[in-house]
Amino acid sequence: MINYILKIEGISKRFFANKVLDDINLKIKKGEVHAVVGENGAGKSTLMKIIGGIYTSSEGKIIFDGCEVKFTRPQEAINSGISIVHQELSLAPKLNVAQNIFSHREPVNKLGFIKWTELRYKTKQILKHIGIDIDPSTLVADLSVGMQQIVEIAKALSQNAKIIIFDEPTSALSGKEVNLLYRVINDLKSKGVTIIFISHKLTEVFKISDKMSVLRDGKLIGTRKTKETSIEEIIKMMVGRDLGNLYPDKSSHIGEKIFSVKGFSRKAEFEGIEFDLYKGEILGFAGLVGSGRTEVARSIFGAEKPEFGEVILEGKKVEINSPRDAIKNGICYLTEDRKSWGLFLEKTVWQNIIAASISKFVNKRGFLKNGKIKERAKHFIDYLNIKPADDKVLILNLSGGNQQRTLLAQWLSAEPKILIVDEPTRGVDVGAKAEIHKHLRKLVESGVGVIIISSELPEIIGLSDRIAVFNEGKITGILEKDATQEEIMKYATL
Amino acid sequence: MNSSSGYLSRLKEILGTREIGLLLVIFVASILLSIFSENFLTFSNLTSVAIGMNYDVLLALGMTLVLLLGGIDLSVGSILGLTGIITTMLLQAGVSILFAVILGLLSGTFLGFINGIFIAKFRINPFIVTLGMMAIARGLSVVLTLGYFVSKLPEGYLIIGQGKFLGIPNPIYVMILFVILFDYLLRKWGPLYKAFYIGTNPDAAELSGINVSLILLAGYVITGFLSGLAAIFMTSRLAMGYAQFGVGAELKAICAAIIGGASMGGGEGSIIGTFLGVMLLAIINNGFVLLNLSIYWQGVVNGLILVIAITVDAIRRARKGESRA
Amino acid sequence: MSLNEKFRTITKVNNLGLLTTIVLIIIGMAIFFPRFLLPINIEILGMGFVQEAIMALGMTLIIISAGIDLSIAGTMAFSAIMVGIFLNNNFGIAVSILLALLLSTLVGFVNAQMINHLKVHPFICTLATLTTLKGINLVITKGETVAGFPPAFYFFGQGRVFGIPFPIFLFAVMAIVFTYLLKNHKYFQQVYFIGGNIDSARYSGINIDRFIIFIYVLNSILAGIAGIITASQYISANTGFGIGIELRVITAVIIGGVSLSGGKGNIGGTILGILFLAIINNLFVHTGAPTYWQEVVYGSMLLIAVFLEEYIGVKREGTGALKRWREVML
Repeated sequence: MINYILKIEGISKRFFANKVLDDINLKIKKGEVHAVVGENGAGKSTLMKIIGGIYTSSEGKIIFDGCEVKFTRPQEAINSGISIVHQELSLAPKLNVAQNIFSHREPVNKLGFIKWTELRYKTKQILKHIGIDIDPSTLVADLSVGMQQIVEIAKALSQNAKIIIFDEPTSALSGKEVNLLYRVINDLKSKGVTIIFISHKLTEVFKISDKMSVLRDGKLIGTRKTKETSIEEIIKMMVGRDLGNLYPDKSSHIGEKIFSVKGFSRKAEFEGIEFDLYKGEILGFAGLVGSGRTEVARSIFGAEKPEFGEVILEGKKVEINSPRDAIKNGICYLTEDRKSWGLFLEKTVWQNIIAASISKFVNKRGFLKNGKIKERAKHFIDYLNIKPADDKVLILNLSGGNQQRTLLAQWLSAEPKILIVDEPTRGVDVGAKAEIHKHLRKLVESGVGVIIISSELPEIIGLSDRIAVFNEGKITGILEKDATQEEIMKYATL
Repeated sequence: MNSSSGYLSRLKEILGTREIGLLLVIFVASILLSIFSENFLTFSNLTSVAIGMNYDVLLALGMTLVLLLGGIDLSVGSILGLTGIITTMLLQAGVSILFAVILGLLSGTFLGFINGIFIAKFRINPFIVTLGMMAIARGLSVVLTLGYFVSKLPEGYLIIGQGKFLGIPNPIYVMILFVILFDYLLRKWGPLYKAFYIGTNPDAAELSGINVSLILLAGYVITGFLSGLAAIFMTSRLAMGYAQFGVGAELKAICAAIIGGASMGGGEGSIIGTFLGVMLLAIINNGFVLLNLSIYWQGVVNGLILVIAITVDAIRRARKGESRA
Repeated sequence: MSLNEKFRTITKVNNLGLLTTIVLIIIGMAIFFPRFLLPINIEILGMGFVQEAIMALGMTLIIISAGIDLSIAGTMAFSAIMVGIFLNNNFGIAVSILLALLLSTLVGFVNAQMINHLKVHPFICTLATLTTLKGINLVITKGETVAGFPPAFYFFGQGRVFGIPFPIFLFAVMAIVFTYLLKNHKYFQQVYFIGGNIDSARYSGINIDRFIIFIYVLNSILAGIAGIITASQYISANTGFGIGIELRVITAVIIGGVSLSGGKGNIGGTILGILFLAIINNLFVHTGAPTYWQEVVYGSMLLIAVFLEEYIGVKREGTGALKRWREVML
């Protein structure tokens, strides 16, 4: 009789009209380390949040330790023994380690006053359990991000969790801390704790998981025993089709150099970044999350100044101190977080499209030329197939794919010479994805230089003519278009 | 974009707007008032209401701009007070009218500039900054005058606020002029139009190449200028400078702006709406006077109107699916 | 560890700089104004700021929760007026005070519910309450002063306990209790989560709405107590009580190291902030500087304090002086 600690049957989740999870069926054994992988927007986080009681499912049931459960609040899940270690840490920075680990569950006397000695003792126990030596009275704000994550894990442990869910556990950890985490996970496993974790890092998943499940567009594609599958098979399941069909043909000819970055450095973020960009090519930035690619891009764009380094555009050195300067020089950056940094959610589609190029739509005295604006907006709505085309709809009501198309239109409207796109197809359906890729390729063919940053290796490999691999703030290698995933991962994790 | 539905749908669109709604409420209130008080519809009453609106409109215009940018300015009333004091004291000291007016406007602009520097350059919370400025400006007004009126102002100065052109008092022209000007500029002039983006998502605006610092600074500078202008009209109309001028004016300005469609979260605002908001409040207060209702209730009513305004605002935002807590 | 950190771990006082400044000012004052250290002056110093001090205790919690309460001036006057009216109607001292405090509770409750349900920044909600209260006060008193307080009532503002004026004694007791509670009670500790990381607070199942009600009600009760004390001090009550007091209270709290963005600060720091401003207040008395300079000084103090706190404090913590714009907006 197999002991399944968690059975997920027919779980679906809808947000208004948007179905984000569709009929998920999963069985997890006690003491198993189970990874959930998938592209961005595949539904992994949503599924975890349903298991953890943060969301309720629209359909289906969850059977935990033999009983059917329906959590309406996170506290219920925690009390039953399911804890989530979130990607965004849930610690109070100005309280110390002990207070955070036992937050809301501190040992108290009858009047509610915290018994500090007991709290300290219990904290030390838990930390010893994991093999960490931190003074319980250290303020969380004074810890490194990696250590903060360890505290977060200790918190889950202290809740006597039977299942611990990790959401991208190593995204913020350094090498040493990652190994520590692996050790902790193995340790927990030997004690019978079940681990479910979401990760983008396939090599890591293969290293520590027993089984992995692949989600794509809200559906469960399949579950495999880690030992019995390969990275290629998993990628194929994640992406859904052969790489060949998904990506447009690469460049037939590469022109002259149009853009160079030399000696870019910023303390603790990136160092000695140097690369060239040629006309007609797409240069990919590959690397693990946190390896510095976005930071470099933002610095080139002027959002944050580097400490050293220079940017050379079309043979001339350019001084970029703000996004304004960058855009004026024709360097544009499409942000990785479209909702927070890219779009104006409470505004309409065309208002978003012109946001970065308003200066192109004003006359000499600065007054808006409404006719020209409408014309340009319409042009992009047609060209990029943005739906719905209704002018009155606010962008926040559009699907992820249409939002991303609008963001792309925003930057195309600025007529860039160099366009850096950061995670351009994050949270976008497969159809829109292919379209965006096609448009990027069209863009380079018209003479624009494109740099693509992506955490999805298949996308980088499928789209780039050359690939610069980042590792902890440095470029460790610039590979040709026929590089394999293994090669890239090698350079990314050296 | 459907150009084929043409005029009818455009008309329906316009009729459904907030501004029309406000106009309707004002219309109804006016009718009721003219029924209950024979003095409401007289030329002298209406002009006195309109003149009284002048100061509030100028302050509310600035407030709308600042709210649009996602901030707030609590010091408008105090800047009005201080600027009035500075101008009138200069006049009393024998400075020419032209210079006194220019220096007065400049001081208002300068005080707004200080607000703007703290908020836009040092990135400090707007309501604390303007709360501090409110105290400093009001305090300085009292320090300079020790509570005494500043009077005996030259005739030439009084014309500004008391003069008439074609039978209509000057302040009314100025008010209408600024409303039309600001409404047009806000909707059609690039630099001010960007304010909508800044209030909606300042980080994204920065990344879109919009000069957020500059426009934020400009917003507070303009507001300071408008407060100074309002002070000139008030002091010339009432023929004196007084440290307590403008007390409580910021509240009315916020109220009017919100009633007119500005959102506390930034990114929304309508000059015409604000203007109608001021008009509504002015008519209600006029009603208090005409109907001999206890003026003590005015404060309560104004407070309740603010509560209603933010509740309506909240419902509107909830319906649109926002969640900015 | 830097000197600051060492000092902090020993004494758990976060404000080495502030403490030093206060000590220096005290020494300076003692030299220039020999009467500064006399008990009678210390009493004047205390009584000149005791209402602000009491309200600052509650405001500390409010600001740590990333909120603010502008209605305290209105509540203070309201409670003073109401207690006067009840006394005039022979309700008896205990009942009158109880009713006045009950009404204050109501104000805090309204504040909290507006914040919880209208999803509007506490600043605007409490501003609305303040306006309404000011109006109500005016309606009730018709601009006149309420008088007719029985002699037994004088105790609260003018009486003594163990030789110390009652208000100061009350404040001292409250300060100790609040300090202890905030540091050691499980319920009060929640405020750091609500202010510091509201998502985590939500995920861990705290009833945020109820806690907000708790702190705003508490704050309004403190304002009510301040009002009663003031009424007892002046043996009268009118709408002028407490005008502009929120400026001084907020300044004291911010000087004491509580950050406007929430999640940080403690009562000890606020007490230092109170002490600092009380001394400044006393300075006015000694130098004979006219009181109308006070608003200017307090306004400037607020700007300086918040500038130091937000700009330099953030820089020291390494996140750079440039916040994301979103954090700067209302």
